[in-house]
Amino acid sequence: MSTVREAPLGGVGELVIGPQAVARPESPFVQGLRRLRRSTTALIGVAIVALLLVLAIFADVLAPTSPTVNDQTRTFQPPSWDYPLGTDQMGRDMLSRVIHGTRVSLLVGVSSVLLALFVGVPLGMIAGYYGGRTDTLVMRVMDLILAFPIYLLAIILMVIFTPTAGLIGTMKVTGALAIVRIPIYARLVRGSVLSVKEKEYIEACRALGVRDPWILLRHVLPNCLAPIIVTTTLGIATSIIVEATLSFLGLGTQPPTPSWGWDLKANVAFIQVNPWLSLFPGLAIFVTVLGFNLFGDGLRDALDPRLK
Amino acid sequence: MMRRTRLMLTLTLGATALLALTVLLPDLASAQAPKRGGTLRVSYGNDINHLDFHTGSGYEMMWVAMNVGCGLVDITPDGKFVGDAAESWQLSPDGLIYTFKLRKNVLFHDGTKMDAAAVKFSIDRLMNPETKSAMRPFYEPVHSVEVLDPHTLQVRLKHPYGFFLHMLAAYRTGLVIYHPAATQKYTLKDRQQGKPEALPGCGPFKLIEWVKGSHLVMDRFDKYFMPGQPYLDRIMIRTIKDPVTEMAAFKAGETDFIASFSPEHVDTLKAQMPKAQFMTGKETTPMIFKFKVTVPKDGKPHSKDRAPHPIFHDVRVRKAVGCFGVDRQEIVKIAFKGQATPWVGIIPPGTLDAVDVNHLCPYDQAKAKALLAEAGYGPSKPLVFEVITSSEKSVFAVIATVIKEQLARIGVTANIKVVDKVTWMNTALEDGPWDAEVEDLLSLLTLDSNAYLSAVGARWNQSRHQDMKVNDYYARYARELDTGKRKALAKEFVEYMVDKLYWNNISGSPFYMVAQPYVRGYTYNAEFEVHWDTVWLDK
Amino acid sequence: MRLYIVRRLIEMVPTVLGITLVVFLMMQSIPGDPVVALLGEAYTEEEAVKVRVDYGLDRPIFVQYVIWLSKLVQGDWGTSILSGRPVLKDVLIRLPVTLELIVLSMGVALLIAIPAGIIGALRQNTWADYTATSVAMVGVSIPEFFIGVLLLLMFSFGLGGLLPSSGWVYLPGTCPTIVCGTSFWGNVQHVLMPAFALGVGRAALLTRLLRASMLEVIRTEYVTTARAKGLSDRPVIFKHALKNALIPTVTVMGLQVGFLIGGAIVVETLFAMPGLGTFGIEAIIGRDYQQVQGFALITALAFVVMNLLVDLTYTFLDPRIRYT
Repeated sequence: MSTVREAPLGGVGELVIGPQAVARPESPFVQGLRRLRRSTTALIGVAIVALLLVLAIFADVLAPTSPTVNDQTRTFQPPSWDYPLGTDQMGRDMLSRVIHGTRVSLLVGVSSVLLALFVGVPLGMIAGYYGGRTDTLVMRVMDLILAFPIYLLAIILMVIFTPTAGLIGTMKVTGALAIVRIPIYARLVRGSVLSVKEKEYIEACRALGVRDPWILLRHVLPNCLAPIIVTTTLGIATSIIVEATLSFLGLGTQPPTPSWGWDLKANVAFIQVNPWLSLFPGLAIFVTVLGFNLFGDGLRDALDPRLK
Repeated sequence: MMRRTRLMLTLTLGATALLALTVLLPDLASAQAPKRGGTLRVSYGNDINHLDFHTGSGYEMMWVAMNVGCGLVDITPDGKFVGDAAESWQLSPDGLIYTFKLRKNVLFHDGTKMDAAAVKFSIDRLMNPETKSAMRPFYEPVHSVEVLDPHTLQVRLKHPYGFFLHMLAAYRTGLVIYHPAATQKYTLKDRQQGKPEALPGCGPFKLIEWVKGSHLVMDRFDKYFMPGQPYLDRIMIRTIKDPVTEMAAFKAGETDFIASFSPEHVDTLKAQMPKAQFMTGKETTPMIFKFKVTVPKDGKPHSKDRAPHPIFHDVRVRKAVGCFGVDRQEIVKIAFKGQATPWVGIIPPGTLDAVDVNHLCPYDQAKAKALLAEAGYGPSKPLVFEVITSSEKSVFAVIATVIKEQLARIGVTANIKVVDKVTWMNTALEDGPWDAEVEDLLSLLTLDSNAYLSAVGARWNQSRHQDMKVNDYYARYARELDTGKRKALAKEFVEYMVDKLYWNNISGSPFYMVAQPYVRGYTYNAEFEVHWDTVWLDK
Repeated sequence: MRLYIVRRLIEMVPTVLGITLVVFLMMQSIPGDPVVALLGEAYTEEEAVKVRVDYGLDRPIFVQYVIWLSKLVQGDWGTSILSGRPVLKDVLIRLPVTLELIVLSMGVALLIAIPAGIIGALRQNTWADYTATSVAMVGVSIPEFFIGVLLLLMFSFGLGGLLPSSGWVYLPGTCPTIVCGTSFWGNVQHVLMPAFALGVGRAALLTRLLRASMLEVIRTEYVTTARAKGLSDRPVIFKHALKNALIPTVTVMGLQVGFLIGGAIVVETLFAMPGLGTFGIEAIIGRDYQQVQGFALITALAFVVMNLLVDLTYTFLDPRIRYT
């Protein structure tokens, strides 16, 4: 039974080529994923994330109406069968807006973290592997960024970028959030690189004339894959919160692009009479962040069982 | 001599009677004697920028200026003038010389006498380009100011100016008389940061302290020239930017007076606090959706070398989009919950000489499409442009969004760009790159006060049209002293503006002040006159 | 020890300078400058040039920074371009508000996290643990502003204005201005909701961290040794496990200070508090360069000082750590 289940996961396990992987019959990845499947909370997280992905991808099909078309005859409708989450000041269907808002949140959350990953990981590798002045220079810059309160940096960056609507507006937020997260990866990867750099098999590779980029990719990277995956998943949660906060301060993606943070802020004005209008976007943010947190937590427990 | 005294007496009596009447009008039940003492806690929705009354901007600063400073005249809600530091005034038959008689008991907060020389000093100062006052364009008709004796002042005009008293009373701050010695002794920075000793006014309250972003405190001036006033001991102003928080503070009794309340929340607060006083009047602020007509040829803002705007130089496109393409009724219903009046033209519904020309711009999609087709736009070449607006008020983004939806119905794509106020000023006001904008700018007492936002050569003529006929209309209007002829002229001008659409009103923009039930004696006069000297607390 | 502190203080200088320099460069790259807002309708190209010269805005950026620095050395933090107010004066007026907010939100965080973390670790995999960890998970997943909005809805609107929604009342004897409200209870009422909104997320984070580190320490041998020596459960946990588990917790708390200053921007805006957060965001939005510099400087100082305090706390928590 269990062998059948593990088979398709072998591919992921193969990525881990290191002394531990060779020494053990089963890679820590496969073990980890098995542990992950046993954790109920992690599975809930996975389910939430999967559901959100479906909502984001098929938003056009799933949303009952357009998120931007207004109808002045139906403003401020309470939740009903026709409008499960009610309508807002402009008569727009809140359910459709919440569903479409998934896109901005996930897009910003996922792509900013991936962008940070693709910049931060190579930076950390280079710094750790080559050491010396390169290391000092890169890490000084990274430490400087880390010394900034995340909101302060994101706010200044958004004022520089000038918030706008639509895809470009979303990309500006993504860029700002990515810059904020780059040092986290650089630091993490640099640490791992330092710890394996002097290992015998790496020395052996060098002696055999294997080129540096190949060593880094093939032998160093896999060693820090687990923390990278965990950091990424939890980082998405953080990015979504910061995105919502920027929108709340009026510095995120601009209307009419549906965004939970903006909707929450715009409707807080009517909270005494129509509280559901800001509660639903708020809940959407909460559930999404919770999903990624549960998932990331499960991953960490699975990949680093000491902390269980 | 005898006649002049009698006239002055009549004027004084009339002014006093009017003042008394206006004090009593808002609440007849308050015929009881005013109670003294207490603190009026006011909330502002925006911060004060700085406190140099002659150069600052923003209503938040102006409302402080009106209570710390005094001027020559004030205007009542029904458009009558009453004396402030002036007890009477006279205009010569040729309409060129104003003679003001000052009250004899007017003191500055440092105890020195306020006299005609101080008034001359202040007017000269405002007229001096070095002062950089935004009021300067309105003093353009002034030829000279002469002190006849310590309590008599003569202002000579270059040409008749029908709105001189309006301007002195309530264009922006109106005239705020500065203390000559203190103004010379202290620097601009001292006044900007609100050092009380740099700003001794002659108004009912003296400045005690301003902490930016926190509070402003004014205390009762015991030697104020109106006997017995002010009734309050202290005014404490706090800035609460979030309208929900501002409402909560008011509801919990933490504040007594909301100086500017968003119209879209009026129903909510009314339902919760039916006894609170909601004060509003005719809409004197225009909500505009207007277009850029020319752009700088060399790309440098404010360049004299102009080129046509690629889209909106064509009046057919302006009219298709701004006149026939927007449904003003729907905008008002959604954005203001119906609290505003749909309004075409250039003068807001509540401003002097307003004309209803709504029939000139009915919502007509077919007509809009036809005009667009004539201008070469259609399914094969769709019209796409950008609407810029500022995040200062949430209603702007709402209106821009509704407009975007409406224009989509006629095949036009309007991309919205919401920017912060500073970016908006740099772009929309300073001849930056933009196509169309949604804004409400400022409250207009008269059509005349709008000249510096729409005449050729005016710095803030945002559309940058180059039509000198507009300037001609403004000049004729300002110099016409006959009210009947003036009204006819206003109508002609508004119709011309609708035809050219250099300026495009969507509606009026309602203004609300809210006070607790126990706040008595306040006379509501929109943003123009905010005076707390007659206010008292019935608790 | 004293030498160590001095050395650390000297080491802070580059970090503080780095942060202020980066902020300086970033602010200058924002399109538009404050001169337009300052001059308003009186704006003309010539006037703008004059004002820029007055404030040194026409100089190369690095020269401007050096000028700012040289004034700073003399204790002059510059003047706000928009209001003409001395920046240092305003920073000092607003600092107590934010300081109290941050300290109390940390207090809220610890008050929740320490018991929850201990219960979670000691009663691992029981319903008490599950409750503690679930609540912590929910806590880290709610943005501060949403908690703030919910609190406003409950306590300011809902329960008949039980707690004030905005503003500030100082502790008796701490009023930094001529006029301000001072009252102990008033202060408590005003700080309660903001501190809670800011603290809940941190509480959740610390709970998880404390629980994890407690578990790790409990599993190490020396607690087992302590038990073997005949010490009963309670002292073992408190004396050894908790103290050691607090080390990573304190580290994270120190790192969170930067986050809390950022969070203060959001919470202070929502509750209309006259603190440094609102001071900072107003300055950024208004391109008030000097005021932004003041904010960046105080933030950087807070960050490095907090990190120093964290390191010093280690010596208290673990006597084996000595700084020389």
